[in-house]
Amino acid sequence: MKKIKALLAGMLVFTLALGAAGCSSSEEEKVLNIYSWADNFNPDVIKDFEQKYQVKVNYDVFSSNEEMLAKLQAGASAYDLIQPSDYMVSTMIQLGLLEELDKGKIPNLGNMVSTFKAPAFDPENKYSIIYTWGVTGIAYNKKYVKDEIDSWSDLWNPAYKDRVIMLNDPREVLGMSLIKNGYSNSTKDKAELEKAFNDLKTVVPGVIAFDTDNIKQKMIAEEAWIGTVWSGDAAFINEQNPDVEYVVPKEGATIWADTLAIPKGAKHKAIAEEFINYLMDPEVSVKNYEWVGYSNPNEKAYPLHSEEYRANKMIFLDQKDLERTEWLMDVGEVLPEYDRYWTELKSGR
Amino acid sequence: MINRTKWLSVPGLVWLGIFFFIPLLLVTVLSFMERGTYGQVVYSFTLQNYVRFFDPLYVSILFDTLVVSVLTTLLSLMIGYPLAYYIARMDKKWQHTWLLAVMIPFWINFLVRSYAWVVILRTQGVVNTFLQSLGLITEPLPLLYNFGAVMLGMVYTLLPFMVLPIYVSLEQMDRRKLEAAYDLGATPLKAFWHVTLPLTRPGIVTGSILVFVSSIGMFVVPDVMGGAKSALIGNVIQNQFLSARDWPFGSALSIILMLLCIVLIFLYYRVIRVQEREGGVE
Repeated sequence: MKKIKALLAGMLVFTLALGAAGCSSSEEEKVLNIYSWADNFNPDVIKDFEQKYQVKVNYDVFSSNEEMLAKLQAGASAYDLIQPSDYMVSTMIQLGLLEELDKGKIPNLGNMVSTFKAPAFDPENKYSIIYTWGVTGIAYNKKYVKDEIDSWSDLWNPAYKDRVIMLNDPREVLGMSLIKNGYSNSTKDKAELEKAFNDLKTVVPGVIAFDTDNIKQKMIAEEAWIGTVWSGDAAFINEQNPDVEYVVPKEGATIWADTLAIPKGAKHKAIAEEFINYLMDPEVSVKNYEWVGYSNPNEKAYPLHSEEYRANKMIFLDQKDLERTEWLMDVGEVLPEYDRYWTELKSGR
Repeated sequence: MINRTKWLSVPGLVWLGIFFFIPLLLVTVLSFMERGTYGQVVYSFTLQNYVRFFDPLYVSILFDTLVVSVLTTLLSLMIGYPLAYYIARMDKKWQHTWLLAVMIPFWINFLVRSYAWVVILRTQGVVNTFLQSLGLITEPLPLLYNFGAVMLGMVYTLLPFMVLPIYVSLEQMDRRKLEAAYDLGATPLKAFWHVTLPLTRPGIVTGSILVFVSSIGMFVVPDVMGGAKSALIGNVIQNQFLSARDWPFGSALSIILMLLCIVLIFLYYRVIRVQEREGGVE
């Protein structure tokens, strides 16, 4: 009996023992504390930087913009470099959570392709630099999808019922429907939002799953035949399952980016700027992006990239496709409205 | 002796204070605050978050969640009781082996186990591939991303919470009472109904509450095995803290859920106590 009780107690401890957050210790040497997505840099590039500049790089990861925001709002000033996505940059600017970048310290900024120099979420390009970018388009498996795919309405095709997959994200999914209906993906107009919602209601019963983190596996394993997929993920899927193609629909699409930014009160701002500048060196960026697999916005690096990387239409999208894309903007006080529609969509009522 | 070892409870009390009472207080305070335009918390008092819950949408989602939780609890009881009963009647040596088998899955991260189910049940998964190779089916069966898969995941995850307390009360049971029942001519079924079941009621109550409370806030299983298609109250709360950035509303929903749990458990105990009293009169 005692043994059983001990076992039960042990089990309880196991259940309670949730992971505790690690603390980063700052030493006297030069330190750069990065807070970013997992696997967002080639580890060798970080090692090279550490050696060349005699800096110790610490790397903490987050899995969503909101997680990162919450931690910074709670007053974590231990970080020197963060990687918020586009809409989160505009939110953080509004909340006064970002440092202005000292462009004089980042001469390599000149290597950036001009289209990405002044994005809508940071129009004066004061606080953030685009690190990598992509477009939410349609990925489909040629084995099952025989029609020509060029429109968001193809997801509504009854032939693909129960084989449609969508990102598990209210802004992405409602934004897609808004674009399909000819509106902005970041509308604050409630009538437009309602129309997009009603349209979605007719497709959701045929959706097999909403998934962001594992959408790649579901496309590779052919559980889903067609769906809303990020271009970078599509490149990854295509590598594992060559039957999967990718297209930017004719109505337009949402473009997104991960950026490099410095949080308010960063202790090693100069080193962070040095690192940003290092990342934008053409040769370094080639080494970095070929490992990461996402799009490199560095114009000077383009000719240095491998033929394979350059030829991939899911990494380097056509200029014509890019002209139809639109950034997601923070919708402020309308966001709870988006969430309510999202909840209603999923509740199946 | 008891007084001199009082200090031993200090770590536990400090733990409770830091990780239970303070967060609970924060959540309560937050639930009366306002959401700022950019998702920040504005410190001005409002009841709006509680009013918003009475939107039929959220009430019906809460109702759906209760149905799922009750179903999970009943299924766990139906599977868990016979299992616990069977284990309790085995040789001591075998009992430990079986209890270990019930508990071992707990040593593996729960998220990993959920994904293991995905690998087993998906269209090109173990089950479908096997059935197809036997020629029993031509098209893969839709085993995942539906209500059945969610129930399977919930019961699978929470079953040990049911089995262990029931096992403990079966183990503690005085066997002589059962023998007395047989001596007085009770059939095995009657003996079970009038002796074993009432004596193991504490285990059933504990197990049911553990399973019910755990399932009511569950959001990982519906996401991973249900394809994130159903909105349970746990998912709605999660979304308030992530995509909607509406911490005050999320906090209000959490408080409502907690109060509801307390009320339901209170009612459950009352029913059980009434039954026990009636049992005594018999």
